[in-house]
Amino acid sequence: MLPFINDILRYDSLSIVGLEKNTGKTETLKYVLDRLPVHTKRIAVTSIGIDGETTDQVTRTQKPEIVLREGMYFGTSETHYRQRRLVSEVIDVSDVTTSLGRVVTARAVTGGKILLSGPSSGSGLKHWMSEMQRYDIDLVVIDGALSRMSLASPAVSQSMILATGAAYSVNMNTLVSKTAHVVDLINLELTDDENIAMLMPIESGVWFIDKDRQLHGLDAISSLSKDFHFQGMDCCETLYVSGALVDGFLEKVRMNKNLKQTELVVRDFTKIFVSPQQFRLFIKGGGRIRVLQKSKLIAVTVNPTSPSGYVLDSDTLCNRLSEAIGLPVYDLLKN
Amino acid sequence: MQLKNVIDSPCGLRYMLDQLDLQSGFARRWLLDSSMMTDAEYIRESYGVLRCFTDFIEREDKTYIDTLQFRLQGLKDIRTTINNLSQKSILDDIELFEVKHLAILATDVNRLLQEHGMEGVVSIPALDEVISILDPDGMKIASFYIYDSYCAQLKDLRAAMRQHPDQQDDLMLQASELEEGVRRDLSQQLHPFATAIEQAQIALARIDVNLAKALQMRQMGLTFPEVSEDGTCRYQDMFHPQVKAALAVHGRDFQPVNIGFGLLPTLITGANMGGKTVVLKTLTLCQLLFQFGFGIPAAQARIAVKEEIYFCIGDEQSVEKGLSSFAAEMKNIDAVIKASRENKKILALIDEPARTTNPTEGAALVSALLKVLAGRDMSLVMTTHYDIEPGDARCLRVKGFENGSMDYQLVEVQDGEVPHEALNIAQSLGIDSEWIDMARKQLNAAAMPPMVKKDKH
Repeated sequence: MLPFINDILRYDSLSIVGLEKNTGKTETLKYVLDRLPVHTKRIAVTSIGIDGETTDQVTRTQKPEIVLREGMYFGTSETHYRQRRLVSEVIDVSDVTTSLGRVVTARAVTGGKILLSGPSSGSGLKHWMSEMQRYDIDLVVIDGALSRMSLASPAVSQSMILATGAAYSVNMNTLVSKTAHVVDLINLELTDDENIAMLMPIESGVWFIDKDRQLHGLDAISSLSKDFHFQGMDCCETLYVSGALVDGFLEKVRMNKNLKQTELVVRDFTKIFVSPQQFRLFIKGGGRIRVLQKSKLIAVTVNPTSPSGYVLDSDTLCNRLSEAIGLPVYDLLKN
Repeated sequence: MQLKNVIDSPCGLRYMLDQLDLQSGFARRWLLDSSMMTDAEYIRESYGVLRCFTDFIEREDKTYIDTLQFRLQGLKDIRTTINNLSQKSILDDIELFEVKHLAILATDVNRLLQEHGMEGVVSIPALDEVISILDPDGMKIASFYIYDSYCAQLKDLRAAMRQHPDQQDDLMLQASELEEGVRRDLSQQLHPFATAIEQAQIALARIDVNLAKALQMRQMGLTFPEVSEDGTCRYQDMFHPQVKAALAVHGRDFQPVNIGFGLLPTLITGANMGGKTVVLKTLTLCQLLFQFGFGIPAAQARIAVKEEIYFCIGDEQSVEKGLSSFAAEMKNIDAVIKASRENKKILALIDEPARTTNPTEGAALVSALLKVLAGRDMSLVMTTHYDIEPGDARCLRVKGFENGSMDYQLVEVQDGEVPHEALNIAQSLGIDSEWIDMARKQLNAAAMPPMVKKDKH
């Protein structure tokens, strides 16, 4: 069997995430779907919302179609279900609507092409994944765009493959360091179980847990507000930012002497919007960032060709990136 | 009037709906859209059905009820699809799936109920034919696509698709035309069942609602009311579930109340904090629950059917309408007076009318209101702090503050004289004594009119 397919089968769910358009995410998804043992395993495929690639909605350019194999289950919106080019059996229609209608779950009776657009929120996606257990699904594959526009996070899946490439940066050094930064974020460790249980239901605001395990909400609406103050937080053990973590906030935490021993918790790596420099400063200063949900990063794939036509050397790129992140890196088009 | 129009009544009706363990969103919508029943026979019938469900949950074990509830979670709102079907539109695969899913669900639930002695309690139209149209292979699974067995040609095309993936696009095009033909046939065959499918959907919602109401009755200790024919209402050990639950959180008990009233006005007087407003809230709540067929929060209840129910609570300000609390209240009571002229069966529950104006005019307004409404064929329950001449009105009084605690029971008294306990109660609340003592001095001084006059000059 080809590289990393075996690794994938060790988990219940996989999301495939592209760092930028044209980094070869669709190729990676195609590669994975073509090679999964569809006769011995039940596979279900969906996508996060309208893939976060809202330009599809604006420019009306078609998203690439995914080729499904006979017997695969999939979840997509009503609109895209009606445009399917395969024979499939409807098995469920959800109550939750997305901008493209309700999510239809179906099973491919013949192989063929489909546009994927699944649940558009994190809880919707989680719910869909748990519903799939009814059909004895062995693996859920999520086409998971990394986008600030997307409300659903690929981090709900147990494992992840990251697609990067020249589209993200044509400068190899920059590409390697930017990708390595994202890999660092994906690899952030989970906070302890007690914190996860306490913080997971919180959808908004900034909160902290004191040394007596009491949860307190802070009055600021988000960590984005300029005049955010840390008052009455002398015994703060854990600081939780439910929304986006940005440079300004991280710097304030770093500069605050009372928060030296504090563990900073975010929902998952997609909520972190800090620059690599600020992130490094924080970690070097002894700061700890933990997450409520994380995925095991299985591999990184690269597309050395940029949309403008510039091509990086595939072998050099794979080797340098692999060295920087300590994980196998593949150029799927080349192999 | 629909339930959704009164759901936010200050009597606390929403709490009852929130506590209802409904399984499907469609049942909730159906319940909110349901109209208030104003026909005694209809109400009796509705309680007859509910009684079957309360008996049912008593005799069946929990796993079975859980199974039924789990099945009801599958109830979806497919009104748009049913509408398309009755308009003779061609249904697509998703819509055909919805119809099949509902038909199988209705048949399953019907069977489950029949097996447990609930045959015909809520009649569900038989949809076996619908299922056989949409399940040509007899798989009995709620999934759907244009099966090969609908069309031999389609079967061949699909086989070709599998053998020649390179020609898929071309074959797909041919197949899709055949599929559309099958959908047209199926839609035509299903068209005569549109009404039955709609009825089945509503029947399932009724089952969900009745099951939830029955479980709520057991959980909250509610009772079946007797329908009163003579316009009088009587409650024994009446309580307000929301207030009771709130008190329970603080480890306190709700003291149930007995109350009855007929077509003569009833005037409730009593000390502050005596629970007068809660009595009115509960009466309003009970009346609405009765006319929407819920269990009643009392040990026993006999309730008369009303055509209109008015609950005027004094302190609501209509900020959006730019009305002061006084203006808003006057408008509300005005509506009661106008409606009472139309010869409708009315229940009006008015909490401390004219409380926000000066006592002289306030008392006059309340006294006049009582006189105006006394002659009308309506039930009126009103609370007040003003000393007024009761006329024909029955007077009830909260027992009040005794031995350091409040007795919320209502006792019948001969006159409407109001108790003077405000200062004692304020004192028991630990209100600043400088203020309370001063008030007491003033009262004592007022008992000697010449002195007061002298002071004023």
